[in-house]
Amino acid sequence: MIEYDYKKPESLEEVFSLLKEYGTRAALIAGGTDVMVKIRNTKRAPEVLISLRGLKDLKYIKKNGNYRIGALTTHRMLERSPLVRTELSALHDGASRIGSVQIRNVATIGGNICNAAPSADTAGPLLVLDAQVVLEGPEGRRSVPLSEFFTGTYKTGRKQDEVLVEFEIPGKMEHFGSAYWKHSRRKAMNLPLLGIAVSLKLDGDTVSDARIALTVAAPTPIRAYTAEEFLKGKPLTDEVLKEAGKISASPECCSVRDSLRGLAWHRKEIIEVYVGRMAKLAAEKIKNR
Amino acid sequence: MKNVSVSFTLNGDPVTAEVPVTWSLLKTLRDHFELTGAKKGCGVGECGACTVIVDGDAVNSCLYPIYEIEGKSVTTIEGVAEKDGTLHPIQTAFLENNGVQCGYCTSGMILSAKALLDKNPDATENEIRTSIAGNFCRCTGYVQIVEAIEMAGKRMK
Amino acid sequence: MSDHLFVGKSVPRTIEADKVTGKAVYIDDFKRPGMLHGKILYSNYAHARIKSIDTSKAKKLPGVRAVLTGQDIPDVRVGFLKDQTVLKKDVVRQFRDEVAAVAAVTPEIAAEAVDLIKVEYEELPAVFDPFEAMKEDAPLVHEVDARGRPVKSNILPLPWKFEAGDIEEGRKKSAYMTTDNVSTTWVNQCCMGTSGCVAEFDNSNNLTLYNQTNVIFGHVGRISEYFSQIGLRGKKVRVVNAIVGGSFGTKLDTDIYEFISIQLALKTRKPVKILFEREEEFRALPPRQPAIFTIEQGCDKEGRLTFRKCEAILDNGAYTSWGATTPSVMIMPMSSLYRVPNVSYKATCVYTNNIYCQAMRGYGNPQATFAVETSMDSLAEKAGIDPAEFRLINRNRPGDETPMRLKITSCGLEECIHSVKEKLKWDEKRGKRKGRGVGMASLIHVAGGARVTKSDGHGMMVKVDEYGHVDVIESGTDQGQGSPTVITQIVAEALGVRPEDVFLTFGDTALALWDAGTHASRHTFMAGNAAVRACAKAKKQILEMAVEYIPKLVKGGFKRKKRKDPDFVEPELDYGLVSDPENLDIRDRMVLPKSDPDHPYFKIPVSQILRSGLHVGVGESKVVVAEAFYDPPTEMLDRELKGNLSQTYAFGTTGVEVEVDEETGEVKILNLVAAHDVGKAMNPTLLLGQIYGAAYTGVGYGLTEEIKVQNGRVMNPGFRDYQMLTAMDVVPIEPVVVEPLDEDGPYGAKGVGEPGLVPTAPAIANAIYDAVGVRIRDLPITPEKILAALKKKGKRN
Repeated sequence: MIEYDYKKPESLEEVFSLLKEYGTRAALIAGGTDVMVKIRNTKRAPEVLISLRGLKDLKYIKKNGNYRIGALTTHRMLERSPLVRTELSALHDGASRIGSVQIRNVATIGGNICNAAPSADTAGPLLVLDAQVVLEGPEGRRSVPLSEFFTGTYKTGRKQDEVLVEFEIPGKMEHFGSAYWKHSRRKAMNLPLLGIAVSLKLDGDTVSDARIALTVAAPTPIRAYTAEEFLKGKPLTDEVLKEAGKISASPECCSVRDSLRGLAWHRKEIIEVYVGRMAKLAAEKIKNR
Repeated sequence: MKNVSVSFTLNGDPVTAEVPVTWSLLKTLRDHFELTGAKKGCGVGECGACTVIVDGDAVNSCLYPIYEIEGKSVTTIEGVAEKDGTLHPIQTAFLENNGVQCGYCTSGMILSAKALLDKNPDATENEIRTSIAGNFCRCTGYVQIVEAIEMAGKRMK
Repeated sequence: MSDHLFVGKSVPRTIEADKVTGKAVYIDDFKRPGMLHGKILYSNYAHARIKSIDTSKAKKLPGVRAVLTGQDIPDVRVGFLKDQTVLKKDVVRQFRDEVAAVAAVTPEIAAEAVDLIKVEYEELPAVFDPFEAMKEDAPLVHEVDARGRPVKSNILPLPWKFEAGDIEEGRKKSAYMTTDNVSTTWVNQCCMGTSGCVAEFDNSNNLTLYNQTNVIFGHVGRISEYFSQIGLRGKKVRVVNAIVGGSFGTKLDTDIYEFISIQLALKTRKPVKILFEREEEFRALPPRQPAIFTIEQGCDKEGRLTFRKCEAILDNGAYTSWGATTPSVMIMPMSSLYRVPNVSYKATCVYTNNIYCQAMRGYGNPQATFAVETSMDSLAEKAGIDPAEFRLINRNRPGDETPMRLKITSCGLEECIHSVKEKLKWDEKRGKRKGRGVGMASLIHVAGGARVTKSDGHGMMVKVDEYGHVDVIESGTDQGQGSPTVITQIVAEALGVRPEDVFLTFGDTALALWDAGTHASRHTFMAGNAAVRACAKAKKQILEMAVEYIPKLVKGGFKRKKRKDPDFVEPELDYGLVSDPENLDIRDRMVLPKSDPDHPYFKIPVSQILRSGLHVGVGESKVVVAEAFYDPPTEMLDRELKGNLSQTYAFGTTGVEVEVDEETGEVKILNLVAAHDVGKAMNPTLLLGQIYGAAYTGVGYGLTEEIKVQNGRVMNPGFRDYQMLTAMDVVPIEPVVVEPLDEDGPYGAKGVGEPGLVPTAPAIANAIYDAVGVRIRDLPITPEKILAALKKKGKRN
């Protein structure tokens, strides 16, 4: 029989003290859409669930030079935020395609990243937006680039006594356009077969800066650095984009494999096609601003 | 098994329940309050049959830990009609436009629709389909459900 | 014909208001006092010998009331071919084999107890491919048959063979011929309400099974037979349905979990509920039957079909349910979809250690029609004839008798094909190959019952009480298709009352007369006909009573008036107007003379007449109750699998316009036109619901759905990875209702529940071919398959 205790602290200090008391016998839970499902499917639970939902001041989307998003911001909030839709479009794309409205109403961006599935729909967008992860622990706050935060499949650099409290996106991303494509068999209620996020800065028709992130293409969400380097300084033409797609799909950038949900050769084809399509969409976002 | 006592508003009435802390909102509604309108279609948030409204938002009650409901306001299908039994426009529209066939998905479907129309009775077709994307239906092909929700929205203005 | 008050109108489903208020009681909601919960332990192997089962820990868990294994119950074989036992004792033959069962006070305790049961297996070689299974050295799935005789091969002793005419003659007359290899795979019915039942015995061991089955009387038969072998011969079986949360073919057989709940109830002497989790619904519920076809067709220079030959291999899984009988339905499109003179069809069912199969909406017709309609397009191309034209040349016509001896009475196929052509702008859009294309496929399905048992009857009882309320005891099943509303319309129309006066009871074998089953899209046709007949009898009784009581009531009224007012003069009335039931009618709850419907004195409420007939004081009270048993004049299939098994047939054509993304293989459906010949639409809104729902399931069948089975194991047992479509997956569906009135249907109606699904997948496949020149012959048509085919084509060019 599944048994656990449930605590709902009202401050970060309380969270730290509970984490200290229970150590690895406890797990953090936010929206619950990953944690509760895992408990049901594995029929196992930690001794204590420590809920973060009492930390109401971790729910915000702010712009003050940099963009700051509280870890407990729900996907639905991101979906409905005009700021996110217009200036952080890839994140809007990713958050609004997660599961269903019911899931998005409770699931959080912090939970999505801490769960660290290779398919996390906010991971690709945050990566191409140069996001930093802000962690807080009893010793204080620290900031880690998201690109260094994923240490393995379902593993992050969060220490056992830390809480992910915020995502910080540099203000300069305001000048980038971004887009995210979630490739799935149906338009809702699916994990992606593949995720492709692109952000671009243009100088006329030339790419002055680029970021490409892939999910479900490696054990963790990744950046396709080689493809990004290729794009920089090039004009945004079909040939260039096709090449960027090919590089992204190559072993230099990713390690797609066969799985229950899809085959490696097909995933490569999708990357090749959609890097270009998302780049074009990202470029349009800049123009439409 | 540790119990927890939660107090919240259920279909407009203040209630308190003492149930095991591991219970979901769905199990509490069905087994403690005997409100069996919300259904367990999958138990893992993948079908929407358990959808209820919490503080105005549609959620999967099968994944909602009961502890979290403290102080909140819950609407189930049993609370959609008026207290005197008069059906809500969404309920009437579903009956008129064949939005109900076997009816198993209907409780969740109506609540997803209500959460949308309460905030936005002018919802477009795309907004309607987005709001019920998390509610599976095998009988209808969704067409007459979407039409019923549109009809209801117009009547709710 | 269209002066009907209710029939043919879109009467709302007010009678089902419980479904929108949360009051409807589904089997999940259903409780009995003292009820226990049952859970099943399934096998860990596809094929293994059971060496030992240790239930000791499970039995000790507090709250557990019974733990059963194959050792604890009689070793009786059940199922269509009697090839499995309720709990598997010595050998498991597929992953979902039931090895043990627990009854406990809560489902959680029962599940925990199941996890405490330890089984030791010795793995045996298994076979997962029907072609491998047919080889001589293949491991045998079964060693002995139902009678204990040794089995030598995995091929089922159920050879399906249909021959009409002469294939060789057909070949000789052919100017063009094609051969196509086509296959379909397992798909799940995806009822939103999972499987479940509650079994309860009374003190004398009579059983009540609360259920959600389409075949309440079929259950009685099968369970009674089981009883006769477990020492309960002669005990009564009563089946009572809760509200059904979807069926789609899952509820036509008596399943193992039902026998298990019966055994647990017998053991514990308490009601026992078994309710499937969603994962069980995907792993343990038999899905749609897959099929591998080789189909050959020919036509002459004018495009007339000369022959159709098909051989099919069916992966039967480890045991047998209705999946193995799908060939009996496949013969229908094989022999009778379009006019084809020489037909040969052979189907071989093969045991493997995969999951076994049952019925699903269409029952073999979707699979077979995918084969036939793929072949039709293939042949049309070879002959250089437009596919729509090809179908028109070979269309079925009213009055045809097909090679299967089906008698086509009403047939709207020509109109359906033309509607599709027109609405899709076929001539304009066809043949462009620029990523957009159109395709079509047609169907034939039974629509006036289907005589698969000796009786294809449907009994109904109608009772009218002295308040003017009508109780209808229906012997079919309401699976959500809208039967309560449609029957209500028919009864209200036939009796002259209002729909809100009619109350229905569905699905209780103690009350209902008998019905062959709610399947084969037969319910409206059969129940409707039974209703019309029963109501005619009830109406006659009411009118005969009216002849007696109208004069009495009127004259009695005059006497009372005279007593109050001595000056009152009794009017001279022509009582001849109400002296013959033939001259009376019932309209809007009132009995009245046909020739003078607004007569000031002779228009009397039905309720008043019935009250007079009931409360007679001394003498014989009368109540109005009538029954009718409608059994159409059809035939069972003979040994050659020929016979007119349905009273009428439904036709239809689905046309699809698609756009294919040639870089990714993704298919977008731009338009789906579903033209259906339904006879009269009883309730237009409900009818559309059947067309939309069935077409949509057909799109899933064609493009996205498949149960992924690897080495016998279901790999995607949940909605996350089983690709049933959501409301965001928009398919614009344009229904076209063609109504050539059918003489035999109630008010001219034909069945429509399944037809909507049947031609959808091949129409999509044909449209994809038109769009990008690749023909995918195995379902589902995924982007991977299209992309792989496009790349292969590109390489060859």
